[in-house]
Amino acid sequence: MRGLVVAGLAVALVLLVLYPMVASGYEIRFMLQLFMWVALAQSWNLISGLTGYVSFGHVAFFGTGAYATGILITTHGWHWAAASVAGGLAAAILALIIGYPCLRLKGPYFAIAMLGLNEVMRVLVSYFEGLTGGGMGLSLPTLYASVQIYYAMAIAALAVTGAAYLIVTSRFGLRLMTIREDEIAAAAMGIDTARHKLYAFLLSAFVPGVVGGLFARDQGYIEPIAVFPLAFTITMIVMALFGGKGTVWGPALGAATLFVLQELVWVRFLFLHQVLFGAIIILVVLFMPRGVLGVLQQRYRLPRYV
Amino acid sequence: MNVVITPAMVGQVVVSGLLAGALYSMVALGLALIFGVMRVINVAHGTLLTMGAYTTFWWFRLLGVNPYLSLLVSMPVMFVVGIGLQRAMVRRVVNAPELSSLLLTFGISIALVNGLQLAFTSDLRTVEFLTGAFVVGGVALSKSRLVAFGFALVITLGAYWFLQATRFGKAIRATSQSPMVAMVCGVNVERVHLYTFGIASALAAAGGSLVAIMFAIQPEMGQVYTFKSFLVIVLGGAGNYPGALLGGMLLGLIEQLSSLFLTTQLSEAVAYVLLVLVLLVRPTGLLGGRAT
Repeated sequence: MRGLVVAGLAVALVLLVLYPMVASGYEIRFMLQLFMWVALAQSWNLISGLTGYVSFGHVAFFGTGAYATGILITTHGWHWAAASVAGGLAAAILALIIGYPCLRLKGPYFAIAMLGLNEVMRVLVSYFEGLTGGGMGLSLPTLYASVQIYYAMAIAALAVTGAAYLIVTSRFGLRLMTIREDEIAAAAMGIDTARHKLYAFLLSAFVPGVVGGLFARDQGYIEPIAVFPLAFTITMIVMALFGGKGTVWGPALGAATLFVLQELVWVRFLFLHQVLFGAIIILVVLFMPRGVLGVLQQRYRLPRYV
Repeated sequence: MNVVITPAMVGQVVVSGLLAGALYSMVALGLALIFGVMRVINVAHGTLLTMGAYTTFWWFRLLGVNPYLSLLVSMPVMFVVGIGLQRAMVRRVVNAPELSSLLLTFGISIALVNGLQLAFTSDLRTVEFLTGAFVVGGVALSKSRLVAFGFALVITLGAYWFLQATRFGKAIRATSQSPMVAMVCGVNVERVHLYTFGIASALAAAGGSLVAIMFAIQPEMGQVYTFKSFLVIVLGGAGNYPGALLGGMLLGLIEQLSSLFLTTQLSEAVAYVLLVLVLLVRPTGLLGGRAT
């Protein structure tokens, strides 16, 4: 059984590597975006799914990464790959500044602080025009690199999924889940809860930073409303919840399912699609709190790292 | 940019701050009540405010009658909507981990905001009523803000009176102190939750109605008020109801003062920095409250 799974994953990996050689430009971008959403949903899951601290502003890290990358490429001439990693670091630094005061307290403080963060970042980016181009946006030099960015996005998605697997199967992950189930008990057992939450949060912010940087390079043009949309946060939350928060593959499953549906059907109904996302959140929380994968795990008694 | 700050400017800022603050206090009291009795942060609070604002807009647009009368509609309607939300959904997550109630109310908020966008588009809407200002001793008092201040003050004090003096108000306070003991003393805690959510929604709706007469409204405006209300209860101390009154006034003053020294664009970020600082230095609020 285990060998079969590994073989299946290996075949999928080879197919994804070969994919750009046969796919059209649109098809490559489709998969590129799919990987982006897998990475974003997975990163939200690292803090919110594992520790139970809900982040309502994860897109702030995405936007911060996008701007850091954009600035490094345009004014310092960095290579986009290095600039994206720097974008991830910038997002992690922001997470440190916000997480240090807010994660010492209980959930609602963190949740609402994150709700406001995105607005503030948008205001700041618009205000410091000299650096960011303000409302005019920032144009990156032209570069045709869809295929390279496809691979980079795929690596980001795989890396964060791999990280989720390693975390869930490690003592570190067990400690995070103990915090989620009962923080006081976790502290009483000697877990330094504030430190563990902060580590999870930094990792969870780093990935959207990198992905935001790749997004900026791929789009070639960024502006405050394009890289700090509340809708992105909503989408990653819906994907992670739908697939199954706190699981390894749930966010990837949710991202794949909902992204395909979104591209094929819902794009034509912008607001209705958002109403539907709201409804999915409500229904999942009330009737299926473990998400699709959680239900399958329970029914077929699968191990928790599936 | 060197601006000379005159006493009249400071007076203006203090007055504007207090005028805005009363509204913040009223709206935040709603959020504080729900948090107090259920330990739920209602992320949809600002969205309920938006719904109140649209009630007033359509009341004025369709009937052309004095928009302040629409409070008589928006508050009861949102009271009923709040009870409906509590009964159908929020009730189920009161005793669940925080994550559930946060996500649930977030989902409710998204569904409602986008429902409003579908129904009324995202155009900015205004209620053209009571424009202009009184000038008293060099301080300009916008008429609509002055009236909003009056309404907010009366409604907020009314709510405090209700909490202090009536039997049901006492039941609410008892529940927020200890649901278990309240239950033992014969308080129907489920019923307290239900009506508290209704009252909180009505307070948000009143805020929305008053906002609609002062500023342009659009479906997404609510999130800012959720955030500010939360900041108010953090300033005042979570679970400390008079703290909300003080916190609201304080937030109004700080916002106006910061707009005197910074550009208006940056003053939006001030409230945020303030939240992070208060959480860092004094997480139980300025008046002290129940640390959670």
